[in-house]
This record gives sequence, C-alpha cells and structure tokens, in this order.
Amino acid sequence: MAASASRIAARRVANGVFVFFCCLFTALALLALAAILWSLLRQGLGGLDLAVFTKSTPAPGSSGGLANAIVGSIMLGLLAMAIALLIGVMAGTWLAEYAGASRYGSVVRFLNDVLLSAPSILIGLFVYELLVEPFGGFSGFAGAVALALIAAPVITRTTEDVLRIQPTTLRESAVALGTPFWSVIRQVLWRSATGGILTGALLAFARISGETAPLLFTALNNQFFSLDMSKPMANLPVVIFQFALSAYDDWRRLAWAGALIVAASVLAVTIIARVLSREQKRS
Amino acid sequence: MNDRGAGAFDTSLTAIEPDKVKLDVQNLDFFYGPNQALKNVTIPFADKAVTALIGPSGCGKSTLLRALNRMYALYPGQRATGRIMFDGEDILRAGVNLPMLRARIGMVFQKPTPFPMSIHDNVAFGVRLYENLSKADMAARVEEALRRAALWEEVKDQLASSGLGLSGGQQQRLCVARCIAVRPEVLLLDEPTSALDPISSARLEETVTQLKADYTIVIVTHNLGQAARLSNFTGFMYLGELVEFGETAAMFTKPATQRASDYITGRFG
Repeated sequence: MAASASRIAARRVANGVFVFFCCLFTALALLALAAILWSLLRQGLGGLDLAVFTKSTPAPGSSGGLANAIVGSIMLGLLAMAIALLIGVMAGTWLAEYAGASRYGSVVRFLNDVLLSAPSILIGLFVYELLVEPFGGFSGFAGAVALALIAAPVITRTTEDVLRIQPTTLRESAVALGTPFWSVIRQVLWRSATGGILTGALLAFARISGETAPLLFTALNNQFFSLDMSKPMANLPVVIFQFALSAYDDWRRLAWAGALIVAASVLAVTIIARVLSREQKRS
Repeated sequence: MNDRGAGAFDTSLTAIEPDKVKLDVQNLDFFYGPNQALKNVTIPFADKAVTALIGPSGCGKSTLLRALNRMYALYPGQRATGRIMFDGEDILRAGVNLPMLRARIGMVFQKPTPFPMSIHDNVAFGVRLYENLSKADMAARVEEALRRAALWEEVKDQLASSGLGLSGGQQQRLCVARCIAVRPEVLLLDEPTSALDPISSARLEETVTQLKADYTIVIVTHNLGQAARLSNFTGFMYLGELVEFGETAAMFTKPATQRASDYITGRFG
C-alpha cells in the first residue's frame, strides 16, 4: 500500500516547485509595495516641513504648504464617512435582518454590488449633475456626497456579511429574553459585529482617501484656506493631481509630501481601529 | 383534563390536577414549510415541577420546546396549529405580544450564548427591558440571579469583565442567571448540558433542582439519567408524536408502551 520511493520523490519535487513559485510571486508583490513606499518616503519626506501644515497652497513660483488641502480633506472625509456609515449600516442591517430572500431585497443587494464596482468618475459626473449644476457651483458638500456614494456600498456589503455570520443562537437567546427585535439588533448584534463593521468602514475610508476623479467634478479645489462647505474646497487628491503634473519643482515636492500624508493617515487610522476593536473585544 | 380529546398515549399514568397545569398543549401540529414535525401533540406541563422531554434525535422535542415561547415565529416558513394554554390564554393566537410572552417564558439553549458585554450587563440585559431599577436594586437583582444559578461565588469579583471570558460551564450558568433575572414563570431548557463537561453538567443539574421549587421547567435532554434525576414528569416522543407521558418514576420503571420501554432500556435511539 505504501507509495513507492520514486512517487514520494516526485511529490517532493512538485511541492518544492509550487512553494518556490508561491514565494516568488509573494516577493514580487511585496517588492512593488516596497518600491512604492520607498519612493513615497524618499521624495515625500524631503518636502515635508512645518510649512506644509501651516501654509496654504502657493501660487506658481511662490512657496507654501498644504494646510488648506489637509483641512479640506479631513472635512470632506468626515462628512462623507458620516453619511456613508449612516446609509451603509442601516442598509446592511436591513438586508441581513429584514430583507431575507425577498425580491426587493435581492434587487437592492444586486444594485449595491453594481454601485460597489461603479467607476468613481461616473459617480463624480452623477453628483455634478445632481448637486453642482443645479446649485450653481462646485462645493464641499457635493464632494462629500460623491465620496459617500463610493463608501456607502462598501459599508453596506460588509455590514450585511458580518451580521449574517453572527450565530443564530445569539440572535435567538436575545429574542428569548423578550427583547424586541430592534433592540436585539442594536444591543446585541451590532455590538457583536462592531469589529467587522469597523473594518468595512476602514476599507471604505482607505478607498475614498485617494479618490480624485469624483472630487474634480464636485469639490474641485480652492487655492485658499476655507471652511465653507458650500464653496469649492481644497483637498489632497486633487492638489496632488494638479501639482504632480505641474512644471514647478516646489509644486511637485508638495505633491509628494501630500501623497505621503495620505498614505500615512490611512495607515494610522487602520492601526487605531485595529487597536480599538481589539480593546473592545477584550473588555 | 377530561374535557380534552383522547390522546394517542395512555393517560392513566398522569395525575396532574387541572389547577396545577401551568402550560397546556392541546392538539398541537407543527410544520416546517410542507413538513409536519409535530402530530397532534397534547401534553400538560405542571407548575413548580420539572418535565423532561426525551426521545431519539429528530423526534420533535426541540420543536415542541420552541413552540412554547413561539421562537419559531422568527422564521417565516414555520407554523403551529392547535392550542397552547398559558394561564388560561392561548399563546398561539394572533396578536399575542411576543416579547412580553418570552419575558414570562425564558429559554436556555444547547450552546452557551453570552452577549458581548460584561457579566453584570449580561444578567441585567433582560431586566432593563422591562424594569427601571436603581443601580443598587439592579446590583441586588444581578446578585440574586447569579446566586440562584450557582455562579455568584465564582464571578463576584469580576462582574465588570466580559462574559465571553468565562469557561463553557460558567457561560451556561450565566445564561441561566440572565434568564431567571427577568423573573419568568416558565424555564425552557434545550439540552442545556450537552455541550458541558461532567462536572459543569452536575453543577447545572444542581441549579435546576434548586429552581424547580419556583418555576415550571421543561427540559429537553438526550441524557436519560439526567431526565430520571431531575424530572417529575417525562414525555417520550417519537417521529413527531408524544408516545407516552407520565410521572418519571413510573415511566422509568414500568413504561406503558413498548417503544418507550425499548428506548429507555437502550434497545434503540
């Protein structure tokens, strides 16, 4: 019954070849990532100084920073995430707990998946038609709505998935105590699913923090510092886009610094959320 | 009891006074979609006593239990017909306030299911839904429930830590405490010890023994020894029917039907 020695040797070779290719392609992928991070650090760190955080974007030929774009990006991101979390968590909860296999539920689920993979430039155009044209100009609000439309389907999908994998017994034991179903969701299921929903929100945040196309049609840009969301608003992706393609060394240096800031903040938010969800699980 | 239609089993063993019956199941049929899982089941559950439901897997014990608090109502394809009288009221009729019903008829499941919150909050969870207690009153209620579930001594110093950190047996007693903190009248136990080690099982059995002075308890179990130790009455089910029902002592020494006799002596099941 024992396999012959030659077959075992052949298996060993096949295994070796397979492992070799796995390692090779993993290394290639990591190499690309390392190259990106390396050039980002090398070029971005050079441009990073205090002025980046204190001064607004400069006119051609003068010096400046990214303060207006950083603040703009934070405001756009926060508003977009607030809208997207509200829509996404509610929609995902409805899909998981109430829609079941109903026809309406599967239509909503399908449309959400379509939206999930919709090109972001289309969403920019859509919001342009909806909120920019009729209201007579680019605005921070329009930008936040465009970003929210990109983030919401991600959150909807992960919320539904995470709620679905909560054990039936957890749901039933809450119901068995006489808990109204809405409280079962709010006090038990959401709590138990927090880690997963947070991960979904993070994915969505990472996705929107680099989005440029939809902002070009909506928030556009603003050379000056502004907190007025009904006016055009500076933001990192569009500034990076414009400055990186410019002929001025100063501008290109700022573009690199901006790219580094975007990457670092996504990393920071990811780490913070991981730590928070671990803390929460432990308590 | 005499006004009920004749059941499919020998009723001569049962002698529950009508006013001692807390939950009275009458001619219950149960369906999972097109499949009938319970056939014309008629069984009384006595107040302040333990009734065990035994029988081979798939015989309908858990289905019967889940009809008693209408847990099945969570699932659209499941339905029950017949009557289940609870203090003179038919709980199967439409318009029954289900959360209220389930607060009066508590349930503990096969697998422990602590909520993702502290031990204290687990026990307080159900109480908060219906009562607005002061902090001190709530602490007293939580302690009382944990004591009755024989868990207080083990957790009294860690009430603020997560219920998920307890051992399996402790988690199950936490679920019992959470259930009785609401002060239900009936306790439904669905194979409560099948996921526990022998020592934890024994502790849970002690808990049940202490609780039977105050509650109507219905326990589904595959452990015949457990049924014999804990229960006052036993119902033997087979293929969706209640084959035999009677006092546990009589049922285990002198079963009236061949099937029950075979099952109890280990010849099948």
